[in-house]
Formats: sequence, structure tokens, C-alpha cells
Amino acid sequence: MISRIARKELREISRDGRYRVMAAVVLALLLLSLAVGWKKYTDLTRQHDTARAATRAQWLNQDKKNPHSAAHYGMYAFKPTSQLAMVDTGIDPYVGVAVWMEAHKQNEFKFRPAQDRTAVQRFGEMTGAEVLQVLLPLFIVLMTFAAFSGEREQGTLRQLMSLGVPSRWLAVGKVAGTAVALGLVLLPATVIGVVAFLWSSGNGLLGGDVTRFAWMVAVYLVYFAALTCIGLAVSATARSSRVSLIVLLTFWFANSLVAPRAASDVAAALHSTPSAVQFQRALEQDLSNQQEMARRLDVRRAALFKEHNVDSVDALPIAFSGVSLQEGEEHANEVFDKHFGRLFSLYERQNQVLQVAGLAAPMLAVRSLSMGLAGTDFNQHRDFVNAAEQYRRGIQRVMNADIALNQKKGQVYLADQSLWQKVRDFEYTAPSTAWVIANCSLSLVILAGWSLGSALLLSRATARLRVD
Amino acid sequence: MLLRILRHEWRQLSGDATLWLVAGACVMAIGYGVWNGARWVQFQQAAIAEADLEQASRYDALGKQIHALSQPGATVSPFADPRSPSNLGGRLGPKYATLPPAPLAAVAIGQSDLLPYYFKVTTDARENIVSATEIENPNRLLAGRFDLAFVIIFFLPLLILALTYNMVSAEKEQGTLALVLSQPVSTATLVRGKVALRGALLVGVLVVLSAAALLITGADLTAPGAAPRLLMWIAAVSAYAAFWFGLSIFVASLGRSSTANATILATTWLAFVVMTPSLFNLIATSVYPVPSRVELVQAVREASDEANKEGSKLLARYYEDHPELATGDAAQAMTDFNVVRVAVNDDVETRVRPVVLRYERQIAAQQATLNRLQFLSPAILMQNALNDIAGTGTARHQHFLQQVDAFHAAWRGHFVPLIFAKAQVRALDTLPSFTFVEEATAMVWTRVATAAGALLVPAFLLAWA
Repeated sequence: MISRIARKELREISRDGRYRVMAAVVLALLLLSLAVGWKKYTDLTRQHDTARAATRAQWLNQDKKNPHSAAHYGMYAFKPTSQLAMVDTGIDPYVGVAVWMEAHKQNEFKFRPAQDRTAVQRFGEMTGAEVLQVLLPLFIVLMTFAAFSGEREQGTLRQLMSLGVPSRWLAVGKVAGTAVALGLVLLPATVIGVVAFLWSSGNGLLGGDVTRFAWMVAVYLVYFAALTCIGLAVSATARSSRVSLIVLLTFWFANSLVAPRAASDVAAALHSTPSAVQFQRALEQDLSNQQEMARRLDVRRAALFKEHNVDSVDALPIAFSGVSLQEGEEHANEVFDKHFGRLFSLYERQNQVLQVAGLAAPMLAVRSLSMGLAGTDFNQHRDFVNAAEQYRRGIQRVMNADIALNQKKGQVYLADQSLWQKVRDFEYTAPSTAWVIANCSLSLVILAGWSLGSALLLSRATARLRVD
Repeated sequence: MLLRILRHEWRQLSGDATLWLVAGACVMAIGYGVWNGARWVQFQQAAIAEADLEQASRYDALGKQIHALSQPGATVSPFADPRSPSNLGGRLGPKYATLPPAPLAAVAIGQSDLLPYYFKVTTDARENIVSATEIENPNRLLAGRFDLAFVIIFFLPLLILALTYNMVSAEKEQGTLALVLSQPVSTATLVRGKVALRGALLVGVLVVLSAAALLITGADLTAPGAAPRLLMWIAAVSAYAAFWFGLSIFVASLGRSSTANATILATTWLAFVVMTPSLFNLIATSVYPVPSRVELVQAVREASDEANKEGSKLLARYYEDHPELATGDAAQAMTDFNVVRVAVNDDVETRVRPVVLRYERQIAAQQATLNRLQFLSPAILMQNALNDIAGTGTARHQHFLQQVDAFHAAWRGHFVPLIFAKAQVRALDTLPSFTFVEEATAMVWTRVATAAGALLVPAFLLAWA
């Protein structure tokens, strides 16, 4: 019986001209966005790989020079693109792509790709995620708004109930029918997406992060299921198809277009961030704290004197200049950790507000999960920022240790390639799926809540189904 | 007759809950939007004030230091000497070039959250100066802001559609249309009356509420330039509203049912406001892709390496180009670190220029493509117009960047001869300063009028079709 209801629902939907047009448009846009995403991903990866190799070669090919000059010359870290960024570019256009890793300073990531585009991008970029998060829900509204109310208006609902069909069956059948109609659009796109995903992974067909992909598919499917249930529940409850449509469209508008903006402004009002001037000024004030620097050097000097049983810097078996440079780094590192840590946790608190706002608008929960799984959310950006910073600190340690070891008093000390090679290449591995999920667990719970809630809503709405 | 229709319509509308719902939604959306815009303007003003303060206190300290060093016996490390033009023009004495928010900035946040509105200008290469940005949570940049522009571009058309989709069809469905038309009144007059009332109400309410919200949140409408911008804003919003009213009249003239009208209008809204802008953006960015800036980073790096290697040769060439800068002991100058650095910086900029131009050309091509495509999308037209009026769009920022470039050149022009002459700076009040010169209002008028015209022409065509 259920399958018969589902088949009837599917037939009715697929015969509707509006469905056909909308399905064709959504499918076309989904494929287009995937194709463009794939192209952008491959271009970016190529450009970044080239730049990475170049910055490494520049580091290794430095002339003979003092290690500290080499540290000042430094290296660049380029933010890699994750493979699933071809579906969801997330915050990537809005964070810098490169950071200069030099002595004494944690620099900020520079060159946000969004600055190289026109104002029109603020309408949203036609990425796969945008189609899935904004257009598909609208498509679901269109398929479901008249499912019950339309039958009620035509009088077929009364006939159906007179046959003794349990209303719950009716609901399940309609969900199934809508799901198949939706699947007709999603399936080809997913298949093509999977092929593109596997194709573009560097290390063979199975090299991509399949777990992330599977999670992403699951998240979107749960979201669409929840929206289908909401659509059907509203249709079962509403006075007429017209009211049902208005209610659902209002929900769609608020959920997909208003909520992200409104929630983001609320988050900023709750946790305000400093301006760059303020940030820089506070940072520099702490950095130039000479007393703290002197205190650290005194402690270090005393420890070294005790260790080597001497009473003057000149009598030390190592060059104190290297020690003092490293002490300067340690002092600066603490300051950077404090200031950048504070700024980043402000962002994280803002993002937490956005996640909580998912309680009012499920799209926000889906968006944060989708970005997380695509590897393009703030947490993963922060992870990369930290990795680059740790690498920079590693360079300083190697250079300063070498100065301490080899610098002789009154001589010019120059190091060569053998030292440059001691700094290993910067390899970054993206965090595991489990780490990502743990970071967006709140969104996951909220999304699960929405899907359960909407299923309950549907079952209650159909239990009280009015036949006219 | 028209008057009677108006009066009758008002009685009907005011009795309908829809109008009051719409009005309530309007009040909340406009209030929240303007409040957000005003908060952002205040943030920018505070940041600029902070920058001014930082600069003033730094200059105060530098002045005192210079005075102290003029006393006999005072010494300072050559790296920290504020009298050295190289130190002062570089690390110690940078000055801010700031772009203050325009008088009506609160009406559209536009690109102002993304494009930097202050730079610390030094003698350093240009690319190192203009790559600075304001601090912002990337998630917020991605989401965009809930500002008045969002309310107008996305929300206003929906309100218009909700108020008009059934203005004729409902009368037909209730059977009252035939009765009305049996009076000496044409359908055209009837529709005109209905639209006139709704249009006047909606635009009137919008303008009054927005102006009130602006005043409450502290916008200074008496500031120079505020009044013409407010007029432009009213003109642009009216033109945008006219377009959607025109569309609704056209759909009503097709004589379909209320449901069909609603479907057609909602689909048009979706196509014009949600889909085409993203799609056009996709087209422009795909046809004219801007390569990742990592290429620029590498280009600058390579250029600096090359230039540093050739340091002294470069200086000789520099003297050939600028013989006026060669002082008596040119041979001695060759070895001067600071002098070499000027030549190196200059050379890096020359080498990198073609790469930078490649980026700028692609972006300009994107903009040109979208400038043409915008005539197919009322939403893009409106966005451009509102950003222009608020001074938060690309045009005013370009204008700012040009002035920053000029200031950077002046700054260098001031310090480079001093570096070559190995002179010492003794007074700080002769250094160049930056003041932003506002774009001519006529330019803004032209752009806004073009957009308004491009909206009004189809509006009239649709309404009379």
C-alpha cells in the first residue's frame, strides 16, 4: 500500500510542469557548480603546489649567510585547498592564502581571494553547497506544499481515508514518493560528484577522504528528509494549499536567506572583535616589554652559568647571541599566543552563536557541518594557521641553536646549505574526520533534533488529519 | 474617479491583516538593518580615531626624541635614529591613509567589511602596503550583513508581490470586477489607482521608517553630501519598487488566476534576486579567472631576490636615471645600505608591476562583464546603486586607492632625496599627510541615475504592455 501511495505521489509530482522545470534547473546548476568547483580546485592546487615547491627551493638555494639572516628571509606557507572545497568553498575566499614565516613575527595570512572579485559575489557564489542549501530546499517546498492540502481541496483525501488507509501509511508513502522525485535530481549529481572527487584525488581513485564525503552526503540527506517532513506536515495542517505555500516559503526565506545574516550580526553584537589598529597596538605594546625581556635573559644567563660552572658570558662554551635570540622568540611566542589566541577564541565564540542559532534555522547547522566536512571552516583554518606558526617557530629554533653552537666571538659566522636542509619541508595533514565532527558536534545534535522533531511533527499532523 | 478608487482601496487594504503584517515586518527589518549598518559605521569611525590617536602619540614621542637628540652628547643606535630619513619614512614614522565612512554609509555595508579602509603608508613597496586588511571573522564575511540594502534588494520585492499579486484577479474571482467595470472606469485607471496607492504607501513607509531609523541610530543627515545622497537613495529605491510594480501589472494583465500570478511572480523574484546574480558572478569569475595571489607572492619574492643580488649594479642604474640624486661622493653612497635599499625597492616594484597588472586586468574584466550583465538583473543594478550611494562600493574604494597611491608616491618623493643626500630630519611638521578627497557627487549621480533609468524603462514597458 505504501509503495502504491509513493508511486502515485511520484507520478503526480513528475507530471507537474513546475517540477520538471525546477528539477532541470536545479540539476543543471548543481552540475555546473560542480564542474566549476572542480576546475577551481584543480587550478588552485596546481598554483599552490608550484608556489610551495618554489618557496622550498628558494630556502634551500640561499647563499652562505648568517643563520639569523636566513631566518629573516624565511619561507612562505600557502594554504592548501581541500578536495571537497569543490562542493563547498566555505570561508576559503574570505581568509588569506599565504603567510610569511619570518624571524620574530607571527604574520597574518594575506590576500583574501574575495578581494579579487566584484561586489556581486556577496549575493552568494554558485557553489554546490549554495545550490544544496538554498535552491534544493525551495524545490522541496514546491514538491510538498500541496501533498495533503491539494488532495483535500480536490476531495480525493476523503475518498482515500474511506478506503481505510492508515494516515501514517499515507505520510510514509508521500515521504517516499517525494524522496524518489528528489533522488532523480540528486542521484546523477552525486554520482558525477563522486567520480569528480575520486578523479581529482592525487593518489589514485581511492585516495580521497571517503569518510568525509560519506558524512557530507549523509548530512545533506538528513537535512532534505527533515525539510520534506516539515513540508508535508505543514501541508497536512494548513487550511489551504495557498496558506501552506505561504508558510513554507516564509520558512524557506527566513531559513536560507535571512538567518545566516541576522545570526552573524547577533554573534558580532554579543562578542565584538577589535579593529586591526587596536589589535596591532596591543600586540606591539606587549612585544616591546623590555623589562620582561631582560628578566628572561637574566634567568637564562644564570641557568647557563650554573650549568657550565662559569661566571661570564664569554666563558660559556656556546655563543650567548644564539641563546638571546631564542629567548626573544620565546617571549614573542607567548605574546602571539596570548593575542592571536584571544582573537581566535572570539571568532570561535561568534561561530558558537551561529551554531546555536541552528536551533531556529536548520540551514545554519547544515552549513557549519558542510563547511567542516569540506575542510573549509574556521576550525580547520585555525589548525593550518597553528601548524604554520609551529613550523615557523621550528625554523627559529634550528637557526638559533646553530648560532649558539657555531658562532665564535669576534668572527663572522656564515652557514650553508647543510643547515638550510636541517629544516624539514613543511608538510601539513588535514585533521581527521572525527576531529571535524567533534568540533561541529553541536550542529550535528541540532540537525538530528530537527530531523526527529520534523518526523514527530509529521506523524502528529497526519494523526489529526482533517479530510476537509 | 482615481481618487475614489484610491479611497476605496485604502479602506480595503487597511481592513486586511496582510497590510499590517507587512508593515510590522517592515518596521522590524528596517530597524534591525539600519541598526546593524550604524554599528558598523561606528566601528569604522572608532578604528580610524584609534589610528589617528596612535599616529599622534607616536609623532609626539618622535618629536621629543628628535629634540632630545639635538642636545650635545646625546647618542642613539643608527637603527633607531628618528632623524634618519630611511628609519622615519619606513619603520618609525608611517602615516595612515584612511577612508572615512560616507555620510549615508549606514544604508549599505556593501564591500566595506571586505575592502580595507586604512593603510599604514611607508617608503616600502606598494604591494606590501596595500595588502593589509581589517580583522574580521571569515564566517561573518561569508554570511554577509543584514543591512538596509539587504532589506531593500531581497525583501521589498516580496512585499510588493504580496500586496499586488491578486489586486485584479481577486476582484475577478470574487465577481466584483465586472461590477466595478460597469462604472465609467477603465481597467487601466483601476489598476493605476490600485498601484498608485500601494506604491505610495510602501515607498512612503519605507522612506519615513528608514530616515527615522537613520536619525535614531545617529546618522548626521545635515553633513555635507548627506542630502543629495538621501535624494539619490529615494530615487533608486523608488525605481526599484517601480520595476516590481511594473512586473506585477504586466502579470495581472495576463488575466490568470491569483495562484498563477503568485507562482509567476515568485519565480521571477527567485530568478532575478537569488539565481541570476550568483550565476552572473559565476560566469564572470569563470571567463576571467583571477589566479591565486600565491603567484604574486612568489613574483615579489623572486623580484626581491634578484634585486638584492644586483644591489650595487641597480644603484648605478638608478643614478643614471636620477642623476639629480647623485651627491658628490657617489662612490661612498654606493655602499650605503639605505641608498641601495631605495634602488632595490624601486626595482622590485618595476619587476612586479606586470604581475600586479595581470590581476588588476582580470578583475577589471570581471567588473566590465558584470557592468554589462547587470542590465539583465535588477538586483545587481540596485546593489551597485545602493553601494554607490552609501560610498561602500568598489568605485569609491578605487578612488581611495588612487589617492593612497598618490600619497605613497609623495611620501617616497619626500624621503628618497633625503636618503640620498644623507640628510637628517629635524622637523616633523613638513612631512606629507593624507586627507581623503571625496568623489564628485556628480559622478555618483551619473551612476545612480543610470541604474534608476535601467530599472524605470522596463518598469514602464511592463506596465504599458
